[in-house]
Amino acid sequence: MAPDISAPAETDQPGADREEDRQSPRDAGNDVIIRGESVVKEYQTGAQTVQALKGIDFSIQPSDFVAIVGPSGSGKSTLLNLLGLLDVPTRGTVRLRGTDVSTFSDGDRTTKRKHTIGFVFQSFYLIPTLTALENVEMPRMLDRTPKKTRERAKQLLRRVGLGDRLDHYPDELSGGQKQRVAIARSLINDPAILLADEPTGNLDRETGDDILELFDELRAEENVAVVTVTHDAYVAEEADRVVNLVDGEITDADEAESNGVVEQ
Amino acid sequence: MSWLYRIVGLFPRLVIARRNISRAKARSILAAASILIGVVAIGAIGAGGAAFKQSQLQNIQDQGATNVFVSPGLDMEQSHFDREDLKAIDETVGPAGVVATKSKDMEIVKQNDSRERVSVTYLDDPRAMYEIGRGELPDNWRRSIVVSHDYAIDRGIAPGDRITLAPEQDAESEAAAAERTYRVVAVLQETQSFGSSSIYLPIEEAENRHYSQVRIMTRSTDRAEAVADALRDRFNDRKDKVLVFELTSLVRLLKQVVNGINTFLVGLGSISLLVAGVSITNTMLMAVIKRREEIGVLRAVGYGKGDIVRILLIESALLGILGSAVGVVIAAVVAAVANSVFLGNPFAFTPSAFMYLVGAVAFGVFTSLLAGVYPAWRAANERPIEALRG
Ligand SMILES: Nc1ncnc2c1ncn2[C@@H]1O[C@H](COP(=O)(O)OP(=O)(O)OP(=O)(O)O)[C@@H](O)[C@H]1O
Ligand SMILES: [Mg+2]
Repeated sequence: MAPDISAPAETDQPGADREEDRQSPRDAGNDVIIRGESVVKEYQTGAQTVQALKGIDFSIQPSDFVAIVGPSGSGKSTLLNLLGLLDVPTRGTVRLRGTDVSTFSDGDRTTKRKHTIGFVFQSFYLIPTLTALENVEMPRMLDRTPKKTRERAKQLLRRVGLGDRLDHYPDELSGGQKQRVAIARSLINDPAILLADEPTGNLDRETGDDILELFDELRAEENVAVVTVTHDAYVAEEADRVVNLVDGEITDADEAESNGVVEQ
Repeated sequence: MSWLYRIVGLFPRLVIARRNISRAKARSILAAASILIGVVAIGAIGAGGAAFKQSQLQNIQDQGATNVFVSPGLDMEQSHFDREDLKAIDETVGPAGVVATKSKDMEIVKQNDSRERVSVTYLDDPRAMYEIGRGELPDNWRRSIVVSHDYAIDRGIAPGDRITLAPEQDAESEAAAAERTYRVVAVLQETQSFGSSSIYLPIEEAENRHYSQVRIMTRSTDRAEAVADALRDRFNDRKDKVLVFELTSLVRLLKQVVNGINTFLVGLGSISLLVAGVSITNTMLMAVIKRREEIGVLRAVGYGKGDIVRILLIESALLGILGSAVGVVIAAVVAAVANSVFLGNPFAFTPSAFMYLVGAVAFGVFTSLLAGVYPAWRAANERPIEALRG
């Protein structure tokens, strides 16, 4: 596969953003993409208040590979939604490149999300009426740069090993292939972070391994941080860093491992 | 990359919306069909009604909208005009053709002695108002009759025939003695004219010179209106001494009535379009619910609320455009049929017919657009995390 995937001189905003970041040396030690401080997230259901996150701190650096593990209901998806600017914390602050996300309007958050974050979901969420290529193009369809978008989409699909499946519809693809399309889609806007909520949850072990390997490769090539939520202990092994969530709180990773919290 | 793809790339929301429409074909077609029905209802009724109105107006104009009819009013001492009255009318209207007539019903006595009622008009000279079709009217018209075109056709009467007339029996008791036989000298040409009788007799044949109606023939509808006003001024100061009737007022009345009926029917058509709007709303709501996750993904990957709203509004507007486009063609065909029936030319679209067709399309598209507002708003305001849970 063509190794020069990160080569295209990005002329659009996300690329420009990142260029700027890289160029400012005073940020070098501190070029955190997203940082959370004492983040609390509460859900109100009727009269009851569920505290899904109980004041946690986290930060994601460029090219990080972070695995979020923990039992069901421990707040993993909640944390990922906060990282993905899909939600705002009840208390505490989440900063995107230093700016408190609670100061963003909904529109601002959408724009930031578009240029900074890529999503990969457990159930792929490909649009059934679009071909693999069109699915990958979809996040950039409103940009009116059809030619550039198409080239980039083809390049990404080739990179994830689907160069010969461009015109296939999702129902003509296997689960692993669908997830590869979804990964290509998540990279079309050249994000700084790729957020994956149980990306291997619907795949068998072997296919899941391939996907994780792909994440690892892309992380270096595309200069993208990967944050993945997982139930599976072996996924965590691939990661640089493991965030262990238990009941809305981060427990020390080693401690958690020794306590066997990761297992269900 | 094809040129089509480039152009399409300029209207991405339109492309997305169009794709979505062809996803649930049956549902989209049904929704568009409901709009189609509404557009056909409004367009066909409106444009057809316009053709009908036009034809009726033409009829009335043909019937001599330049004429003014005067008959004795409720407050007149006698229920007829005499020579004095005629003189006064003549003075009031100035230079114009004034024809005084006396109309009544008589009975025709047939060979087998059965009788049939017939309308009869006494007048000086039918040529003042009508054209002679067959036969010839003598210069000194006496003791012979002229028959209207329709009546002649109906009864197979030709010049030279003889007709026996008698006064109405119950009206003049048993005055069977008053029976008289006349020779038919002429048959009139076909006329659309208003207030025509079947049989015309010389005024000398009437038992008295009491006229039941005066017709004033002017050269224009404006003049007719002026004459009518002058007559009302002169005679109907306090009392209704005369009834003045000019066709321009009938034209106005007819316009009002036809417009009223048309508006009512078009209103009914509009209701069907509103129902169609409800159906579009329903279709779009179903689509939005079905595509909930997909819309959630779109939001997650950077489509703003406004993008979602626009895509869905374009989608419902497309349904409306589809339905309206087919609907207006059908409505135009129906209107063309109405044109050929009423106006004798399928392409004789009146400006108002045209307006109805254009209005129906505009209303159809607008209704669909409006119908899409709530589903679009709902979809755009769904939080992506809610849509993507589970
Ligand atoms: N929208 C919501 N309304 C109310 N409670 C919620 C909502 N979303 C999450 N929660 C609660 O917050 C807690 C954390 O949920 P979350 O989805 O983050 O768990 P998770 O770690 O992703 O679990 P799983 O591994 O099963 O996906 C749970 O107790 C859940 O019931
Ligand atoms: Mg979860």
